[in-house]
Order: sequence, then C-alpha cells, then structure tokens
Amino acid sequence: MLGTLNTRVMLEYLPELLQGLQATLLLSVSGFAGAMLIGIIACALTIQPLRWPRAIVIAYVDIIRATPLLAQLYFLYFGLPRIGILIPEFHIGIIALALNSGAYVAEIIRSGILSIQRGQVEAGISTGLSYLQRMRHIVLPQALRPTVSPLIGQAIVLVKDSSLLSLISVVELTRAGQRIANERFMPFEGLVATATAYLAIYFLLKFLAELWSRHNSLPDRA
Amino acid sequence: MLLTHLERVLNYWPMLLRGVGTTVGISLASLLIGVALGFAFGIIRTGSNRWLSRALGLYIDIFRGTPFLVQLFMVFFILPSFGLELSAFTAGVVAMSNMAACFIGEIVASGIRAVPAGQTEAAMATGMSRAQQLRLVILPQAVRIVTPALVGQFVLLIKDSSVVSAIGLFDLTRSGWIIVQNVPNGLIVFGLVGLCYLVICYPLIFSARRMERRAQAPVL
Amino acid sequence: MIEFSGVNKWFGALHVLCDIDLAVTRGEVVVVCGPSGSGKSTLIRCVNGLEPYQKGRLMVDGIHVGQEPRRMRELRMEVGFVFQSFNLYPHKTALENVTLAPIHVRGMSRVAAAERGRALLERVGLGDRMGSYPHQLSGGQQQRVAIARALCMQPKVMLFDEPTSALDPEMVKEVLDVIISLAGEGMTMMVVTHEMGFARSVADRVVFMDQGSIIETATPESFFTNPQSERGRDFLGKVLQH
Repeated sequence: MLGTLNTRVMLEYLPELLQGLQATLLLSVSGFAGAMLIGIIACALTIQPLRWPRAIVIAYVDIIRATPLLAQLYFLYFGLPRIGILIPEFHIGIIALALNSGAYVAEIIRSGILSIQRGQVEAGISTGLSYLQRMRHIVLPQALRPTVSPLIGQAIVLVKDSSLLSLISVVELTRAGQRIANERFMPFEGLVATATAYLAIYFLLKFLAELWSRHNSLPDRA
Repeated sequence: MLLTHLERVLNYWPMLLRGVGTTVGISLASLLIGVALGFAFGIIRTGSNRWLSRALGLYIDIFRGTPFLVQLFMVFFILPSFGLELSAFTAGVVAMSNMAACFIGEIVASGIRAVPAGQTEAAMATGMSRAQQLRLVILPQAVRIVTPALVGQFVLLIKDSSVVSAIGLFDLTRSGWIIVQNVPNGLIVFGLVGLCYLVICYPLIFSARRMERRAQAPVL
Repeated sequence: MIEFSGVNKWFGALHVLCDIDLAVTRGEVVVVCGPSGSGKSTLIRCVNGLEPYQKGRLMVDGIHVGQEPRRMRELRMEVGFVFQSFNLYPHKTALENVTLAPIHVRGMSRVAAAERGRALLERVGLGDRMGSYPHQLSGGQQQRVAIARALCMQPKVMLFDEPTSALDPEMVKEVLDVIISLAGEGMTMMVVTHEMGFARSVADRVVFMDQGSIIETATPESFFTNPQSERGRDFLGKVLQH
C-alpha cells in the first residue's frame, strides 16, 4: 500500500494541508483557551455555597457529558441562526469545542481541588495564614499539579474533536485532506497526510504530559 | 410558532426512534467486539514479549492519536479498494470496535498493573502457569478495578457512534439532521436528539460514578 | 532436599547473596535470621524461583532451580510458600483460596479438594470461617489461611518469609503455633523470622545472615547462648534487649 502512495499529489496539496493544519491549531488553541475559562468559572461555581448556580453547572456538565459533540455542534449550527445569531462556522466551531471541553475541564479541576486533604488547610489555618495565603501557598499548588496531565489529555481530545468541524464545512485539517480525495479521487493520500499531522500533534502533547509527570510526580501517599 | 415546530418535529418521532435503535445497536456491537479485543490487547501489553507489546503500543497510539472521523473515512473509503465493500453500519462497527479496543486495551493493561505483585507471586508459588495466573487470580481482580472505566468507555462509544452519521448511517444524529431539513428549527430538533442521547447515556454515567465511589471505599 | 552451593545474586551493583553454601535435609527445620536487608528473604525466595540468582547452583528436590524452566511448576507444586503480607486472593473465600491451586494445578476434583481444604482450615483453627473473604478476617486469620493454602498442595517443603512481621502482636502466637505443630510432624521447613523465642524452640539449626553472607550456622542452643561471631553477638544483643 505504501508503495502506491502518491507522494507527488501529497506535495502538490502541501499548501492546502498546511493551511488546514494552521486552522486546526487555531481552532484548538482558541477552543482550549475558552474551555479553560469556562471550566475554571464552572468549577468555581460548584465549590461555592449558593445552590442555584451549583445546580446549573452540574446540569451543564452532565448534559455535555451525556451527549455527543456532533449533536452539540449541530444544535448550535442549526439552532443559533434560529434565534438571530449569525456567525461564521469557524466561530461556531470554537464555541462548540469550548463548551464541550469546558465541562470536562471543570471536572478535572474540581477533582484536583477535592484531592487536597482537609488537614492541609487546617495546617495552614493553624499557622496563621490568611485565606489568600492559604490559597496561594497551599491549596492551588497542590490542586493544580495533578490536573496538568489530565488537562493535556483533554487538549488531545479537543484537537481530535476539532475534525468534526469539517462536517459543518469549516476548512481545517480533515477537510483539507478530503480535498485530495474529492478532487483527485485519492482518499488514501489525503487521509494519510491528515492522520500524520494529527499524530504529530498527539505525540508532541503526549511527550509533554510524560515530561511533566516525570518531573512533577509527587511521592505516593501511603 | 415554537409549539407548531415542536408538534411537527414530534411527527417524526418514529424516525428518531429508529435512530435510537441504530445508535444503541452499533454501540453495543462495537462494545462487545471492543471489549474482547481490548482484553487481548491489555494482556499482550502487560505480557513478557517486549517487542510484541511495543508494536501493539504503537498501533494503539496511532488510533488514540487520530480523530475517529479520519479512522472511519479510512475504513469506509480505503477498504473498498482492497475489494471489501462495506455498508455504513459495518464500516462503523469495524472502526468503532477497533478504536474501543485500543482505549480498552490501555484500561485493561492499567488494571492488570494495579493488581499487587504479591498476587502474581502467590499464584506462581503454588505452581500456576501464566495462563492460570491470569485467568484465576489477576484478571478477576483487574476486571473489578476497570469496570467503572469500561462503563465510561461505553458512554464514549455511544457518543462516537454519532460520527458514523457522516458516512450516511441512519443513527440518532442522522435522523436529527434529516428532520432539521424539513423542520427548520435546530434548537428543537437537536434539543430533542440531545435528550434521546441523554436518556441513553445518563444512567450509564450515573452508575459509573456510583461504582467509582464504591471502589474508593477501602476494600481491605 | 535443598542445597545451595556457591549461590550469588546481585541487584544491579548490590551484592545481595554472596557465596551461599547451605544444605537442608529432609525433615529439618532451619530458621534464618539476621538484621533487615541481610538477604534472608531473598535467600528463601530463590528456593522456589521467585528470585533468579546469577551464579552457583541451587538444587531443590532434584531440580536445578533456574536451569530447568520447564520443571519450575513441578518444583513450585512441591514447595509451599507463605508470604509476609499473606497475599490471599481478595476475590476468593478462605476455602476457595485454599482449593484453587489443588483444583487447577494438581487437577484434583472439586469435591476432593474441598474436603482436603476443609480439613486443613479446621486444622489451623478456622473451621468456622471457610466462607469468609480475606477482608473479613484478621491478619492472624489471613496468615493461617495462607498456610493452609500452601499445605493443600501437599508440599514436601514449606518456606516462611517473615510470616508474623505484618501481624499485630496479639496475633503472632496463633500463627506460630501452627508452624510449630507442622515442625512436630516432620515437615521440611525454612523459616525467616525475627521471633527469637520461636526460633529457639522450633529450629534444628539456626542460620545467621548479614550483608548477603551466611555468618554462622549453629544449633539454637549454641547460637543463642554462645554465638561464635561478633556480628551474631551484636545482633542478639539488639534483638534480645526487649
């Protein structure tokens, strides 16, 4: 199969593929930034005492987790124009990715904060640290450390998820690969080029996650 | 306006139901194959044959590192050039169970690694073969460890099955897509589609959470 | 029955067993003692091949350990091993823990295995706990199940790796009593332990190890009253202070 791979055509479409890659990266980075923002706010709302905001966030997280991204995407794509919001597909894509990953980010951060033992806070209180000092020196450093690897994992998921935006005609990596398929009837070449680019991103992020956990793994609690 | 739309959408109820059936069917079929293959993968990954384990690790990485949509297109557009003409359903099952096996394989491998080394030693000390150690001592314990993760994986599988609508499978998402061409109200149509997914997935998410909580309670 | 000749083992650069020469004859009870890290656990883990060794020769019941991979299962069927941390199977009841290997390794019928298993559990004083899972049992009870599990294979040799070190003090005796009664029946045993009173009463010979070497081998009488080596005296001084 590799013998019949038409590398000439792949090279010919290199500019399109690179443009697609660029779009995928842009979608992923802005989607992830949005997801972090949503996730942090959502998480903050779940650990504060007021009931209603908490209930809303829990409902949001559960709804996102129990429905496919593609259905969420179509909901926005076919739904937003209905209520008079006319924005380009590219932006709808970013919103969908951010809303979707935001729910998972919220869960990741929440479990990081919950993993802190009560004794840690109590130790901070008993040595006279203020609330902000406790947050800064005790709670956040311990809460954020275990979230880094899962967050990178979520970033990997998001990059892969962004391929679904090709289905609402956003031109990104997957769509760029399909052009080779459609214009030259060479699906294999297009898909191999696309898959290779995704794999490069995947291995890079995976490497970062491993690097992080190698240098930051806390000794196991007995 | 809203009500008339809702009423019109509800006329398509049989179509939605058919979609639900396909979604559940393709997910279940892929789950069964994916679990069987995934356990094999997990055992090989933790086995003594280093090269086989590494080769499989690379294979798994390839499918964990690429979007499911791309994998699906691979199966659907490329296998036919080898003379294998696949229906959307079959192509979906092939792509989904393969991907599920890759994720489940890593879950099972981590479950096997989580069984304390003393268990293997105890089994070995009574003369059990490697296969007996796995079957009688290690896997039964690993299964308990990984069950919540497996249920979570099933939820992911159900959600990923929506992507198969892109190659024309008449599943829940596809039925919504068709209905929205006739009743131009995406909020209602995909709200309803989402509700159907929620009804299917939420009990699974709920039970996975409960199992996880129970698993966190000390066993020994 | 067990014969070490010039056995050496390294963990990387660490020399954990140095030129071990030791023979255990049929029916003999050998207690291995020494400070922690002296290599005594490694020594008995070599006997049933849980640890490989790099140099020398270790013969157990006519099998050259490590050189005959095909016969390792055969060897392990004849050598019972009791771990410091019990290692009971948490998903099996006490009786199932005991009968699992006889059924699947020895190929015994379930009925026969259950019969033997029940008799052994009775014997270690757990006749009323056959259906209990490990987490429902105390440490001492778990270790007695583990001994019954090893015995159910009808081994020719029993190895004990610090069988009471993970137990609360009040449970030590119930486990030691079982081992003492086994010794009385003429079972060949190697026991790694810190329980010096027990060692004195049950051992035919005491092997004292330090830093991977056997420093002295003696009868319990002479070792405990008049150790020949400086390090032996040191060790006894520390252990017997309490």
